[in-house]
Amino acid sequence: MSALPDFRLLRPASARDAILLRGAHPASRFIAGGTDLLPNMRRGLVDAEVLIELAGITELRELQDQGDALRIGAGVTLATLAADATVRERLPVLAQAALAVAGPTHRHAATLGGNLCLDTRCQYYNQSEDWRRGNSYCLKRVGDTCRVAPKSKRCYAAFSGDVAPALLALDAEAEILGPGGVRRLPLAELYRDDGMAALALGADELLLAVTVPLASNRFSGYEKLRVRGAIDFPLAGVAVALARDGDVIASLRIACTGVSSRPELVAGLDALVGHPLDDAALATIERGVRRAIQPMETTTVSVPYRRRATPVLAKRLVRRLWDEGG
Amino acid sequence: MKSLLNLWVNGRPREDAVAENALLVDYLRDTLGLTGTKQGCDGGECGACTVLVDGEPRLACSTLAHSVAGRRVETVEGAGRDGMLSRLQRAFHEHLGAQCGFCTPGMIMAAEALLRRTPQPSRGEIRAALGGNLCRCTGYVKIIESVEAAARCEEVSA
Amino acid sequence: MNAPDRDLHRVGGALEAPRGVGVRMPLIDGVEKVNGSARYTADLPAQGALVGKILRSPYAHAELLEVDVRDALALPGVVGIVTGEHCDVRYGVIPIAQNEFPLARGRLRYVGEPVAAIAAIDEATANAALAAIRLKVRELPAYFEAADARKSDTVLLHDNKKGNLEREVHHEFGDSAAGFAAADLIREETFECAEIHHAMMEPNAALASWDAERGHLTLWSVTQVPYYVHTSLAQCMKLDPAYIRVIKPFVGGGFGHRVETLNFEIIVALLAREVRGTVRLLQTREEAFLTHRGRPQSHIRMKLGLTRDGRMTACEAEVVQRGGAYGGYGIVSILYAGALLNGLYDIPAVKYDGYRVYTNTPPCGAMRGHGTVNVRFAFESLLDTMAAELGLDAFAVRRRNLLSAPTETINGLKIMSYGLPECLDWVEQASGWRDRATRSGGDGPIKRGIGIACSHFVSGSAKPVHFTGQPHATIALRVDFDGAITILTGAADIGQGSSTVVTQVVAEVLGVEHRRLRVIAADSALTPKDNGSYSSRVTFMVGNAAADAARKLKALLVTAAAKRLQVPEAEVDWFGEAAAVVGDPTRQIPFHDIVEEALVDVGMLTVKGLFTCPVEFQGGKQRGGAVGSTMGFSYAAQAVEVSVDAELGKVTVEKVWSAIDCGFAINPMAVEGQVQGAIWMGMGQAMSEETVYENGRHKAASLLEYRVPTIVESPDIEVHIVESIDPNGPFGAKEASEGPLSGVMSAIAAAIEDAVGTRIRELPFTPDRVFDAIHRQPRAGASAPAAEQGAA
Repeated sequence: MSALPDFRLLRPASARDAILLRGAHPASRFIAGGTDLLPNMRRGLVDAEVLIELAGITELRELQDQGDALRIGAGVTLATLAADATVRERLPVLAQAALAVAGPTHRHAATLGGNLCLDTRCQYYNQSEDWRRGNSYCLKRVGDTCRVAPKSKRCYAAFSGDVAPALLALDAEAEILGPGGVRRLPLAELYRDDGMAALALGADELLLAVTVPLASNRFSGYEKLRVRGAIDFPLAGVAVALARDGDVIASLRIACTGVSSRPELVAGLDALVGHPLDDAALATIERGVRRAIQPMETTTVSVPYRRRATPVLAKRLVRRLWDEGG
Repeated sequence: MKSLLNLWVNGRPREDAVAENALLVDYLRDTLGLTGTKQGCDGGECGACTVLVDGEPRLACSTLAHSVAGRRVETVEGAGRDGMLSRLQRAFHEHLGAQCGFCTPGMIMAAEALLRRTPQPSRGEIRAALGGNLCRCTGYVKIIESVEAAARCEEVSA
Repeated sequence: MNAPDRDLHRVGGALEAPRGVGVRMPLIDGVEKVNGSARYTADLPAQGALVGKILRSPYAHAELLEVDVRDALALPGVVGIVTGEHCDVRYGVIPIAQNEFPLARGRLRYVGEPVAAIAAIDEATANAALAAIRLKVRELPAYFEAADARKSDTVLLHDNKKGNLEREVHHEFGDSAAGFAAADLIREETFECAEIHHAMMEPNAALASWDAERGHLTLWSVTQVPYYVHTSLAQCMKLDPAYIRVIKPFVGGGFGHRVETLNFEIIVALLAREVRGTVRLLQTREEAFLTHRGRPQSHIRMKLGLTRDGRMTACEAEVVQRGGAYGGYGIVSILYAGALLNGLYDIPAVKYDGYRVYTNTPPCGAMRGHGTVNVRFAFESLLDTMAAELGLDAFAVRRRNLLSAPTETINGLKIMSYGLPECLDWVEQASGWRDRATRSGGDGPIKRGIGIACSHFVSGSAKPVHFTGQPHATIALRVDFDGAITILTGAADIGQGSSTVVTQVVAEVLGVEHRRLRVIAADSALTPKDNGSYSSRVTFMVGNAAADAARKLKALLVTAAAKRLQVPEAEVDWFGEAAAVVGDPTRQIPFHDIVEEALVDVGMLTVKGLFTCPVEFQGGKQRGGAVGSTMGFSYAAQAVEVSVDAELGKVTVEKVWSAIDCGFAINPMAVEGQVQGAIWMGMGQAMSEETVYENGRHKAASLLEYRVPTIVESPDIEVHIVESIDPNGPFGAKEASEGPLSGVMSAIAAAIEDAVGTRIRELPFTPDRVFDAIHRQPRAGASAPAAEQGAA
């Protein structure tokens, strides 16, 4: 009924072993919680002769409070993340985003790394093999045309993870292990605006952890637009981190998900630093969000709606955090 | 390719040769005959296959059997004691939390995980904990009432 | 909750809890459901069974020139393949409209239509074989919307159906022209309802075993109507029905998906015969969406006339249903949509034009509230709008048009009990309707509102789909040496609790303990034929048959008791678990002694209970008069409170109050469960559910994209039971599980309007639609209503 393709399952005990195995088996994939990968494999979206399971790697599951930053292993489950006291108190946007993912049972298996590396999604892609074959496939897999934008050369599948925008808003740093060792980069640089290859990760690289600064006086939150109260991927998601200095904005970062092929950090908000959150500031935020997003027909819910609703989410969230900080 | 899988299922140790690409749901249903765990969707969308792994709810349709090696798996068949229903099973039965019954095993296992963690959950907590379990018959009202009734029951099934 | 609690008849020291009717009894098959031992079709032992798989059409419309299975058949592990060549007999649920082959022959009419099926040793082999089958086709123009299919120059899906019209209905009851002439206000609006699907939790599955030595077939399937499956198998396989056994195991819901014989049930049997063995066909969730048979996309034009004080004078409705590629239940759907405009309110004239259109999409069929749901949405919505225009309260305008039982509608439907007034009273009071002004609206972006609606549904179609001359329901009771009473019923319990209801009825009449009773249901080798679980017929019809059987058995047992007690029958005091001489409880004999006496000379007792709807209930003689005929309508009223995020178009249903007149609640807890399920399913249709096709390809064929509501956004639903005690229902009972559904969409639409001032006439109310409706520029002149058309 639910037959998966044949594969071998390897279970390394360390991250180092995991990337060595990945290098040794070109047709391999990492599997963490499996909540994204396995349904995709059942639909024939992923080829893999070898799965390298990360669940047994203790170091990936560590959460370290470093005083001025929190280092979160990529293997930490979303349930653990959302329940962690430091996350809840200091990084509410992260707890809210983790809690917004899928359903509660998924979150006991799904990991931070899995959500950050979630495959991009599209109504023409997340379908059964029969469905896609009948539709002559699409650019993202096997086919040669993007069904969302047939004239384009690129794939517009939407990045649909909830946690990435929260971490972008928090200015997190990603830690990546490759054959040459560990490299660190701002999380935003992990992503590319390409539905077919949204992750700027080498084939034998592994996301180890993210490090989130624990700034004080920062207010943050996540709002997700979806039809149902659970299970659904975001039609749009907005994460905001705001610091207030009396009557003016001290810092403001906004990131969106579900509305383009990568999580988008809204640009141009630095101009608001030192200004109050007045109508002009809200208009700037609205313009910034509109410029940052590019919703396409990746879901059955209308594009104009998602384009118009995303700035509303952002402005409302900023206003709420502003009031909280007041 | 098959390899040996050791784990605990409903309190008993098991050792079986299991294909490396086998899903937990297929192992439970096809190898062990524990057909109480249901498949209602094409993967990860309905919650009917929810089982407990070391006390936490997991979707057996999105979990590889070998991923739970060495761990304790509980299914709806193992919930009762001495041939009698568990408090949640009894509550779902007596309060009509089950109509067609197809979502029920998954619903009961998800609720079991909730009650072990939160013995006296609010309605909001019940809704949050069962958010990934779809039911098409009850409108959920009697499911919530069933979980509440089980929470009122003093017997601890774990 | 608030359903009536009654004192139980406690006879002879019963050791168990509730029995008989009117009590909150758990389901008789409930233990198996909660402990995991209930076997659904996919759970049945199937050692050695081959894996069945269906190849489905990737084309929406094409001539099928060749199905080349040679390569597939040559694959090691492939045991057999069947194609359209294996069955040249059409089937379909309506005897006069059978136009479907189990496997396509000559023409492919929708994406997903079965073309071939494979039996192989395992799933991987079956999948490889599917990929190796080659189809040669000539593609044809395809039509995905009713309007496109009806155009003059279209290719016909079925050659004998001009304009791709499966059925056109034109009925008029009363004088609608005179009715509109008498109106002070006439309004007309159009309504669009998306197609929806049953999404029962259990995916489709069937297991077929062919006994090649004897030429016998056994089929286990997920059906609501084993009898139709049985006759369809006989017909399509050209097999004497005596050689077929159909068994319904536990079934995980149906809601109408399974009231027709479905193609896979015949396909799996053809495969089993082909391979001379056992084949198990488990299907994906996606395949259920392709098999479909759900509620059709409907375009409705509704026109209503009201007097100044809210009296209805006439109604005119035009309904276009996109029926999909085959007939199925379509004729009934389009007839019901018109007929059930009647029976809820007192309307002097109704004119109805219905069009059921063939399109290149999966066939539609029956779904909970069959035929009436979308039309009720339109009617109640328009009634609200007009009442507001006349300055009338939503309750007042409905009360102005109540019926009074017993009565007969203009289309000849008999109404013997009518609890709608009491339903309205309770809902008005419980929902705090009169104080709603204090709750409605709001300052921020979140606005609150409340709306109401009424609805009704038949308690079984008084005319069975298949005319056989046989009783409409038959049930058997068997008692042997062990003293156990076995209830044999063909009624298919699909989770609605029919086996429980039947047991309660028998327990009530006989006064025995439940522990003495067991139910064997829906196995054609053991149980009497039943017409099936559709149109909410089981409680009414099978319930009556069960009472009849129990009374007959009781008569036999009383005779035996009298003989054993050596008194005339009139002097037997019947206690159920015992009998005694009237006035002398010491002269008492236990149940086993009574049975022992009853079996002398005759052996095992088998009694039969029957029920048939009398002909006078089968509808009027006028054209269209028989449609929708039933012995009893359920009535429902509901109030819904919503909050609307006006900035995001997001609607949340906060609370529902629903009152149901189900005649008599044989099991108040089960009634509540059915009502809550119906209200909630209506909410799903209102809020989030819709099938989505692109070029005939279903884009939302999963439980992720077809958005059945989750527990998180599902509201509390308070249920109040009104008991009008129908003179013909078993103990006065009528149906309870379909009627409440139809009112939900318009109640929510009214609540949204109350909250944000916008009336939405397009289902479902997804955030994008609500957002558009709120932000839509008012149409020119829309604020000033069009000139009143009343000619009076």
